[in-house]
Amino acid sequence: MIEFHLDGRSGVAPYLQLIHQVRHALRLGLLREGDQLPKVKDVAAGLAINPNTVLKAYRELEYEGLAAARPGIGTFVTGTLGDGASLAAHGPLRRDLQRWLAKARGAGLDEESIEALFVSTFRSAREEDIA
Amino acid sequence: MTWLTWRQFRAQALTAISALAVFAVLLAATGPHLASLYATSGISGCQATSCEHLASNFLQQLYAAGTYWVLYLLGVVIILLAPALIGLFWGAPLIARELETGTSALAWNQSITRTRWLAVKLTLTGLGAMALTEGLSLMQAWWAAPIGRAVGHGAGGTNLAMGRFSSLVFATHGITPLGYAAFAFTLGVTAGALIRRTVPAMAVTLAIFAAAQIAMPLWIRPHLFPAHHTVIPVASLESISLQQGGLNGRSFALSAENLPGQPGAWLLSSGAVNAAGHPVSTTPAACTAQSVDNDTPAFLGCLDSHGIREAVSYQPTSRYWAFQWTEAAIYLALALALAGYCFRRLGRRLS
Amino acid sequence: MTAVIETGSLGKRYRRLWALSDCTLSVPAGHVVGLVGPNGAGKTTLLSLATGNLLPTTGTIEVLGGRPAAGQAQLARVGYLAQDAPVYTGLSVAEHLRLGARLNPGWDAGLARSRVERLDLDTGQKAGTLSGGQRAQLALTLAVAKRPELLILDEPVASLDPLARREFLQDLMEATAEQGLSVVLSSHLVGDLERVCDYLIVLVGSRVRLAGPLEELLAGHHLLSGPRRDPRSLPDSMQVISASHTDVQSTLLVRTSGPVLDPAWMVSEVALEDLVLGYMSQATGRGRRNHLEVQR
Repeated sequence: MIEFHLDGRSGVAPYLQLIHQVRHALRLGLLREGDQLPKVKDVAAGLAINPNTVLKAYRELEYEGLAAARPGIGTFVTGTLGDGASLAAHGPLRRDLQRWLAKARGAGLDEESIEALFVSTFRSAREEDIA
Repeated sequence: MTWLTWRQFRAQALTAISALAVFAVLLAATGPHLASLYATSGISGCQATSCEHLASNFLQQLYAAGTYWVLYLLGVVIILLAPALIGLFWGAPLIARELETGTSALAWNQSITRTRWLAVKLTLTGLGAMALTEGLSLMQAWWAAPIGRAVGHGAGGTNLAMGRFSSLVFATHGITPLGYAAFAFTLGVTAGALIRRTVPAMAVTLAIFAAAQIAMPLWIRPHLFPAHHTVIPVASLESISLQQGGLNGRSFALSAENLPGQPGAWLLSSGAVNAAGHPVSTTPAACTAQSVDNDTPAFLGCLDSHGIREAVSYQPTSRYWAFQWTEAAIYLALALALAGYCFRRLGRRLS
Repeated sequence: MTAVIETGSLGKRYRRLWALSDCTLSVPAGHVVGLVGPNGAGKTTLLSLATGNLLPTTGTIEVLGGRPAAGQAQLARVGYLAQDAPVYTGLSVAEHLRLGARLNPGWDAGLARSRVERLDLDTGQKAGTLSGGQRAQLALTLAVAKRPELLILDEPVASLDPLARREFLQDLMEATAEQGLSVVLSSHLVGDLERVCDYLIVLVGSRVRLAGPLEELLAGHHLLSGPRRDPRSLPDSMQVISASHTDVQSTLLVRTSGPVLDPAWMVSEVALEDLVLGYMSQATGRGRRNHLEVQR
């Protein structure tokens, strides 16, 4: 069974952090299909956070098709993250990214500008996908 | 709630019971001897004329022995103090302590209403208070029965010879202790509820209770029933207190200490009156000689010849239990009123 | 969803001073509600009115649909933990549990016992010799084992050391999850509230300044930083809560439902601490000094 932790300073909402940690565990193979996620009560007690926060995270995972709740028993992993699960399988993508980074540095951008450029492009691209 | 009341009350209850036990042991150790002294005094089979003499001898004997007088006094003091101590240590902390320590927030947020909380506490502790005080009184009455009987036969002349209407005896025998206990207890609880601090509440309870216990015998008890008045010849008085004063014995005050033909009556006041019925305190000129010589019988005879008689107001002894019931009822009514006030006050939310 | 606490223009006056005025709230069930504000703002007064320890001067209050402390049934549905966790110092832990069992028809003895075992409390120990954290835990056990629907806690962790505080909140969250409790807790320690609460009420100067689901409130407020500007020049859709200025720069806490489009502003998200401080300075008119403790 995995154990959650919270980064109080990251600025990321707790429920999102929980979701990320489940997805990360899935990616690393720590969680497999059929495994039980920690009980809401135990997560709330362990982290001293509101149970509704945990419920929200679990519901979101359910919505994404990654988990399913069995009333009275618990929440169980039902899906995987698709075959993009292994980071190691994306060598070409990684090399493309490294080339782009070199170009950005060559253009005179400092680290914060590179990050800002990436984040804003990433977000607007996501919004276009939704629209 | 019964369990909680007992558990919180345990220490006080055990203190009271051990005090009661010690007192009981003292009485039990000396009581039988006292009874045998009485038996050998010959009062039981006495003839009317010798009774008073035998009874007085008996009491003087007891008084001279020392221990009996001390124990008697101790008993009286304990019974008089018991209601006050109950009011202070059982009554005042009942609500005040809970408010002071904040445990009221704990107690009154269990699934029990404040009304029920108070009802159980008041009833159980109050009944305990009454039982304790009355128990002390009954034990003392059992032990001192021989003394009481001697007094009933008209004994006099010592401190032990207190009539049952006297302040000390009236307040420690019969059912008045019940009333005092109930009143002092509820007084303490009310003080605690109003003042919300235990120690100041104890002080106020003591002050008010003491005031009541002084006011009752002085100003209220004598007037509970209309007094009887009678005028008797000065010479027929058996026991008097005569004070003469002024230049050449010009003024006098004559007070009777008992009323012939009314043994055990409670004398409220007495004083000399002239033939017309008006109070007299100036010595008639003709009698100054006897007053200067301190010749009491002659002086009285002289007063008598001038038409001066003694006016006495008194309560007959037959009214003893009427007085007891009335006084107990007054105190119980006060206790109930105070308790009712506490319920109302608690219901209006103290904090 | 039904409201656990419903008030209408609730007010409480002590002699001349209004401890709470014009309080209208509808607190939904199933949440952990944080009641926050400086000392003396009226938090304890509001909670005392909710438990029936006080009677209102004006207005109405309903708890779980009934009048507070109206009777045994109503009292059984609400658990209360007063400030500084009062316990009977002369009674042992076991006797406290007995108290709970005798005075509460809904008492869950198994739950009480398991909690005490887990907390490693010596049942024979007198409650007066327990540490502050243990006393708080004992009081929580008493409040929770009677199986209430609503739990009200007045500054439950204010006097506890950080470890005891953490353990207390962990236990509280576990009980909340397990029993489906609604919780209302007041605190002036903001750090605890952020993790634990999902509904917020800000009480400053005896009035409710803000009330709503925490996430919504945080999303609806923004911290704007930019060139010095008169707050009144902002559009009406933006409500300025508090503002501080240097000679060239302004920092504003605003409440708005839409996005901030003016490019001159640097927009940051608001944390609970900033939110509460902003409303406190709005109420008192003081920007810098405040009584809110920030502990993390």
